[in-house]
Amino acid sequence: MGLFQRLANFLGVRKKDVNVLVVGLNNSGKTTVVNSFKSEDDRITDIVPTVGFNVERFQNQNLAFTAFDMSGHGRYRDLWEHYYKNCHGIIFVIDSSDRLRLVVVKEELDLMLQHPDICQKKLPILFFANKMDCKEALSSVKIAAALGLDKIMDKPWHISASNALSGEGLQEGVEWLTQQIREMLSVKS
Amino acid sequence: MSAFKRDKKEEEDGGGLPFQNIEKSAVLQEARIFNEASVNPRKSTAVLTKLLYMLNQGERLSPKEATDVFFAMTKLFQSRDLVLRRLVYMGIKELSTMAEDVIIVTSSLTKDMTGKEDMYRAGAIRALCSITEAGMLPSIERYMKQAIVDRSPAVSSAALISAMHMTWFAAEGVKRWVNEAQEAVLSDNIMVQYHALGLLYRIRRADRLAVSKLVARLTRLSLKSPYAVCMLIRIAAQLIEEEGADSGSPHFQYIEACFRHKSEMVVYEAARAVVNLERTTSRELAQAVSVLQLFCGAPKATLRFAAVRTLNQVAIAHPAAVTACNLDLENLITDSNRSIATLAITTLLKTGAESSVDRLMKQIATFVSEISDEFKVVVVQAIRALALKFPRKHSSLMNFLSAMLRDEGGLEYKASIADTIITIIEDNPEAKETGLAHLCEFIEDCEHTSLAVRILNLLGKEGPRTKQPSRYIRFIYNRVLLECPSIRAAAVSAMAQFGASCPDLLPNIQVLLARCQMDSDDEVRDRATYYSHILARQDTSLYNRYILDTLQVSIAGLERALREYLDGEGARPFDMLAVPVAPPPQAAELDAKPRAALAKPPPTREDNFAERLSALPELQALGPLFSSSEPVELTESETEYVVRCVKHSYARHLVLQFDCLNTLNDQLLEDVRVQVEPGEGYSVAAVLPCPSLPYNESGSAYVVLQFPEDLPSSVATFGALLKFVVKDCDPATGLPDVEEGYNDEYMLEDLEVTLGDQIRKLGKANWGAAWEEAEGLFSEMEDTYALTSMTSLEEAVTNIVKFLGLLPAERSDKVPKGKTTHTLLLAGVFRGGVDVLVRAKLALADGVTMQLTVRSQDEGVAELITSAVG
Ligand SMILES: Nc1nc2c(ncn2[C@@H]2O[C@H](COP(=O)(O)OP(=O)(O)O)[C@@H](O)[C@H]2O)c(=O)[nH]1
Ligand SMILES: [Mg+2]
Repeated sequence: MGLFQRLANFLGVRKKDVNVLVVGLNNSGKTTVVNSFKSEDDRITDIVPTVGFNVERFQNQNLAFTAFDMSGHGRYRDLWEHYYKNCHGIIFVIDSSDRLRLVVVKEELDLMLQHPDICQKKLPILFFANKMDCKEALSSVKIAAALGLDKIMDKPWHISASNALSGEGLQEGVEWLTQQIREMLSVKS
Repeated sequence: MSAFKRDKKEEEDGGGLPFQNIEKSAVLQEARIFNEASVNPRKSTAVLTKLLYMLNQGERLSPKEATDVFFAMTKLFQSRDLVLRRLVYMGIKELSTMAEDVIIVTSSLTKDMTGKEDMYRAGAIRALCSITEAGMLPSIERYMKQAIVDRSPAVSSAALISAMHMTWFAAEGVKRWVNEAQEAVLSDNIMVQYHALGLLYRIRRADRLAVSKLVARLTRLSLKSPYAVCMLIRIAAQLIEEEGADSGSPHFQYIEACFRHKSEMVVYEAARAVVNLERTTSRELAQAVSVLQLFCGAPKATLRFAAVRTLNQVAIAHPAAVTACNLDLENLITDSNRSIATLAITTLLKTGAESSVDRLMKQIATFVSEISDEFKVVVVQAIRALALKFPRKHSSLMNFLSAMLRDEGGLEYKASIADTIITIIEDNPEAKETGLAHLCEFIEDCEHTSLAVRILNLLGKEGPRTKQPSRYIRFIYNRVLLECPSIRAAAVSAMAQFGASCPDLLPNIQVLLARCQMDSDDEVRDRATYYSHILARQDTSLYNRYILDTLQVSIAGLERALREYLDGEGARPFDMLAVPVAPPPQAAELDAKPRAALAKPPPTREDNFAERLSALPELQALGPLFSSSEPVELTESETEYVVRCVKHSYARHLVLQFDCLNTLNDQLLEDVRVQVEPGEGYSVAAVLPCPSLPYNESGSAYVVLQFPEDLPSSVATFGALLKFVVKDCDPATGLPDVEEGYNDEYMLEDLEVTLGDQIRKLGKANWGAAWEEAEGLFSEMEDTYALTSMTSLEEAVTNIVKFLGLLPAERSDKVPKGKTTHTLLLAGVFRGGVDVLVRAKLALADGVTMQLTVRSQDEGVAELITSAVG
């Protein structure tokens, strides 16, 4: 730990560490989303399909995010649940141009919401209706309706249309999430 | 204050073992901190270390426990603490075989292995390879190829070694990295070069031509890494052996050139390779030995050690060459490194003359207490070889051994001494009494139960035949008073042997056995009661059958028979004859594996066959399997179809098992069967074909025959023909091109059914008593033969034993030196449970004459044996 960090700790201005889980079907753009949150120099240029998960860090305002970027491939979806405990929020990425698999998205979402480690908690969920730049992309309103988001009563949620390649829509979404987590933490302490 | 005191005390008690009393459930509980939202690297490091320590101590986790702790551990990837991350890699490796879904860390590890942090990269590669299955190989291939040629030696080495490990389960996939490995073998780094050669060899190992090319190319390159050169020498030496090449071969010339290498390691490796080659001329040998000789005088202890150890190993094979170094070895006797001194002395002992034995033994005695068990065993082995070579030296060697027995030492060491004493006793009757006395003294204070039991058994067997059997009783009975139940039980059995063999000791033995019937242990009491009742009958034939001869059945076979009996709920009385017999272990086998003899006997070949054959419904009516022959080759080697035959005898049937291998990659064989032309009197009861035999697979076809009623015709020669349906197929896929095949056949070599196939060896502890008992009860046949082709009694003995398939009794297969007459005593059982005893009186005169007397319960069997020899 560097001197500055120690000093910062002592003064109580240390950044809060929070964990978020990034889930969604494969190819929805999770890794690309997380990549664009990172500072310019840390970004990777060629993104390959994730096998398992990756841990990435980024900051927003004075929260230090640790993101568990999970693989969305069918084989790994059952493994998301190992990471549900102790997370402060969830980023759910949807490929809004992939109309065919929207039912699969709904299935996975429902499974997650019913999981004992999730259903009891008031975790904020941020939905990215990603790939908004694609011609056949559905609007975020249509996606919210298709997924039945209005039925989620016990958790704060928010949906942003986004383009992870250009960064459009990402900032708005993550600011909402930061706000929610900050509130949640201050209620707790 | 009190807390301080306690701490202090704990520190003293702990003795430097911080994890002495850790418990699995507690550690798993602590590991939950890995799940916390923000990782505490210091605490996590401590817990993970504890977990790793525990796993390395052999603690096993259930799949659920392992998976839970594995996933908790994966969360530590969020910390960038260097030490913690490297522990996580180790954790992944340890848990990779126990936990499920370990591939979850694939991306995290590939990120680390390609990342900027050099300290992460090598460890990440090793962890990655431990979680990758053959099917996942393509997903990491790109990274592995890059890593193999990485500029960092640590990364490159890690990738090469990991690839080597992966060849065990994904050989085909790893083969695709051969270009990168070839680039790495040119590396300037000595370790990378060495590891790259290791991988290249591993990839090509199965293909001798490819290995040969690899060696040829690399020997021209002059590798920089001495480790790589050493490995190349080993590969070259192996090629020389496999090709049966001589000193003209380029591989040999390469090894010889390495004698002039500037690295001592390489020079040593070359010399070692040459002296270990099977075919070496004395000139080549002399050159290599002179290198080792030079190293014997080297200032570095490692070099002296290596040289003398190698000389020691080849002393028996090349005594003349090693004697050339005698002077140098003498100098090493006083080497301050005791391991070197031990090896020097034992080498001299192996090659030395009888006159030098006493001097050398005295030398060893001065420091034997200072060397480790491993080297003490080397000394014991040298003494064993000496005792066999110079029987007259037995008393000084025996004294030495008994002194060693009294020293501290582990089981393996003590067992090797006891084994040696037993070997000496068996080989040299003059040494028997002293040897037994030493062993008696040893069991007075022996902490190894298994060894004490063995020695008590030996005393029971040998003691009654000494001049003064009574002197052993006290030693044996002392065990009953002082030891644990298994030793007490062995002592009871040993005493009973004296009672059965020495009538004048019987009253005393009965008194002692009566006392043992009050023992607190069931087994001891049962044995004492059993023996006491039999001895009370005063009937020598009962003694022979139930005291002196031990149960000679295969343990696994007995277990199976008992299980079947219990399953049948005792509808029929248990039939001991239905249990396959097994001979007692032979002295030679005990010699080869002294340790195995102490362990539980593994199932015999017959047990395995019995399992397999009893699974065939056609064979179930035949009764228990009596014996199985060694496999006989019925084809030349390297033919299209390879066929071997194992002959299984049952009471009235002979089952021929033909193991066939199809070596043609463009043929699928179906309905493979063997047509036999049986000898007179045999009838074929069933033919069981092998339904299908694809390329490179083996399968078995069977023929069931009934033995002829007329016993002498059972020894016969059969013609045999392999018949099958061929379907031509595509070598690439192995799938047949056609629906219909065509019939074909293949001539096999003739098959002989011998006497030995129908007989099993049986040990007789007291052969003489059994022989006398059989007189009058059994049928007897006698005949005299001239064995003209034999030139010595030993040769005659070996051949008769092999031909008849009987077990020599009372060590009569050992012919004392210089004798011209000898009597060989044999025992066994003929199929159907017919006892056979054979006495062969041999005389040496212009060939060997033999008078053969056979006593058997069945006249036909006795006749068969006398007629088969003629
Ligand atoms: N057009 C478009 N492509 C995107 C967007 N986000 C991601 N992609 C592409 O979608 C593919 C999958 O992205 P990736 O981040 O690996 O998805 P993941 O499997 O969810 O991690 C990549 O080829 C990305 O370049 C987006 O907003 N618009
Ligand atoms: Mg991804």
